[in-house]
Amino acid sequence: MYSIIVVPAPAAASGSQVRLAPGERLHFGRAAPRTATARHTAATPHTAGAPRHLAIPHPGVSRTAGEIGATASYWTLSNFSATSTYVVENPEGAGEHIKIAPGRLDAPVPFEFSRVVLPAGGDLLDFSVWAPRHDYLERAHPACACASTSTSACVCVCAGDGGGDGEPTTLAFPLDRTKRYFLVLAALCESRLRGAPHAPLPTVDRIVERLRPLWPAVNRASVQWNIDYLAVKLRLKPGPDTADAGPRLNGKKETLVSLALRFDLVHEDDLVTLTALPAPAPLTEAR
Amino acid sequence: MNGFPLTVPAGYEVGGWTVERPLGAGAFGSVYAARRTGGHCGGGGGGGGDLPARAALKFLPTGTHTPRQLRHLRDLADREVDLLRRLRSPRLIRLYETLTVDDPAHPELDGATVLVLEEAERPLQSLLSGAAPPSAGPALLVQICEGLHQLHTAGWVHGDLKPGNVLLMKDGTVRLGDFSTASELEGTHAYAAGFATPDYTPPELLWSEVGDRGTRIRPSADVWAFGVLAHTVLTGASPLPGGTPTARRDAALRYARGEEELRLSPGLPDVWRGIVADCLSRTHEERAAHDATTVLRRVREAAAGRMPRRRRPGRRLVPLLAASLAGLTAAGLGLYALGDRQDGTDVATGYERCAPGYVCFFSETGGQGRMCDWENDDREWFDGDTVCDWARDEGPRSVFNNGTADPRGLVHVALFAAKDLKDDLGCVRQGGRRDLALRLPIASHTWSKTCEESVAL
Repeated sequence: MYSIIVVPAPAAASGSQVRLAPGERLHFGRAAPRTATARHTAATPHTAGAPRHLAIPHPGVSRTAGEIGATASYWTLSNFSATSTYVVENPEGAGEHIKIAPGRLDAPVPFEFSRVVLPAGGDLLDFSVWAPRHDYLERAHPACACASTSTSACVCVCAGDGGGDGEPTTLAFPLDRTKRYFLVLAALCESRLRGAPHAPLPTVDRIVERLRPLWPAVNRASVQWNIDYLAVKLRLKPGPDTADAGPRLNGKKETLVSLALRFDLVHEDDLVTLTALPAPAPLTEAR
Repeated sequence: MNGFPLTVPAGYEVGGWTVERPLGAGAFGSVYAARRTGGHCGGGGGGGGDLPARAALKFLPTGTHTPRQLRHLRDLADREVDLLRRLRSPRLIRLYETLTVDDPAHPELDGATVLVLEEAERPLQSLLSGAAPPSAGPALLVQICEGLHQLHTAGWVHGDLKPGNVLLMKDGTVRLGDFSTASELEGTHAYAAGFATPDYTPPELLWSEVGDRGTRIRPSADVWAFGVLAHTVLTGASPLPGGTPTARRDAALRYARGEEELRLSPGLPDVWRGIVADCLSRTHEERAAHDATTVLRRVREAAAGRMPRRRRPGRRLVPLLAASLAGLTAAGLGLYALGDRQDGTDVATGYERCAPGYVCFFSETGGQGRMCDWENDDREWFDGDTVCDWARDEGPRSVFNNGTADPRGLVHVALFAAKDLKDDLGCVRQGGRRDLALRLPIASHTWSKTCEESVAL
């Protein structure tokens, strides 16, 4: 039931990610406070009360640098430093960022992806925080047309009872169609959506090629990262633990695509988002 | 009316039905009132049988020319048709036939699936918008729980039980409707449709893991939803605090993680508190003990105004109901109506409130007024498990010994004026029900093998 994921700087093994449930807190700094449990407690069960700890072993970082508080859809940052301002960047936000002044407690952070930057002596240290449980307004069916053209986030669930009929029935997989992960998902689903239901899935290299005109900085690692993130966001059951990343990734891609197609997370119309690129086949507007 | 997945003009004809007016929009389809105007020339066929003069037509946008070719809508339509074709039972909305629109002139309708359903009066939701909880609430909950029990017994999970999906009929009875999220159990699990209503979703299914076939769901999810629904019907408010679905979802998560206790509304009548709390058990494992069969028995007791309580050792409880459920499992849903108790929308007021196996005392003559009832002995009426406060000053005016067969022959009830079975007042024979001539100050009673009726009684 976690809602917030903290990814330490070298962002390597998924085992080093810290998953926080709503209400949980994660202390970070050079040393754990006396009450805190050992670092990287991701695997240990939650014990209410004592905040968990993320060690940032750098001499320029305070022993108690700050604290992250998880809620369901966003998180808060407390800056315990007396002098340093922390910066929270939105890596997909074209320079969008917020500053957390020294001593500020529980400042809410609205981004789905964040990079927390801490000044440490002459260095800048950072770690990432994901908030994959953002909710989006569910459009009524006719408004589903927004999928292809709108720049705003839109989940086309076709929940028609948004009126006086009580609580709407909603899809359990809200996605932000403006995010890069959505581009990656659309590229993954493209061939099958274009009427080749058993087409092999594109390789990561193929996706990189496909997206480059729209997203010049794309590379293997960023596509890979987005596939991993989609698996988290869509709550895919982790596959059997194997050291061999190859087949496992393929299984992850297959599961993502079958889930996306089963629940129409990506429609044929969404492929319009890819048509800034030379599409393999000309697309005709369905409507 | 905005937000209709499909707009169908009044006067539109499909398969012998003429559309009259919109009734409402479900999550995935539009529902219209229709009358029968033609012979049977349906495109798809289906339920068949005797068609009524009026019906509700549910249009599901599954056509090839609808604005979007959405395969999940096909899946949802299939789930609903599959369930309704195979299950017919008193508390589930009835499907008469299914049709497919064949109308190239209306590309947005062409290919749409039409379910011809029993016409309902209105959804339960409409009853909950008033200032006060509906007085028929307990009786409605009995029927809703019966519907749930019928579904679960047949091996299905509803997946989206909420007031908007409970329909009130003209005769005041209740049907469960909208089965587009229903799924058939495969062993202990079913695979959910991927759609739900957050306010009625158990915590373990919020953000649950997704496998190759989607999210796994178990009948205990419907039991949670029933707990939320019962609390909402009886008090007008959700059992979880918060002004928005998101705030309530967060409260549900905190509760599930053990950080908060459940705080049910003070307005929730005592007889319902235990039932609602059990339906809202934190985890699937804790909730699994309270399946639809158990909950239905307790809901029936609560609706009759009785505090559900433990069985008395040595005396068996209501074998009638248990037997009918066993028969149901064995012989399918067709037999259900035989064992089903008649339950109109009125809360019972007379002797019939007294369940088999109980002895009941009433504050008025003829089984009217307030009731205290016992399945067991009680050596002190005004203290302990059952407290019969109203009888403290003025004794009961009528009595019904609805005792059932007992292996030790304890079928009569001996009454005493003082606690601990002192000052014998006489006894009421098994099956005896009548007014009491005098207001006897009864303070304790015991089940007994023999019975000598006294003059006073």
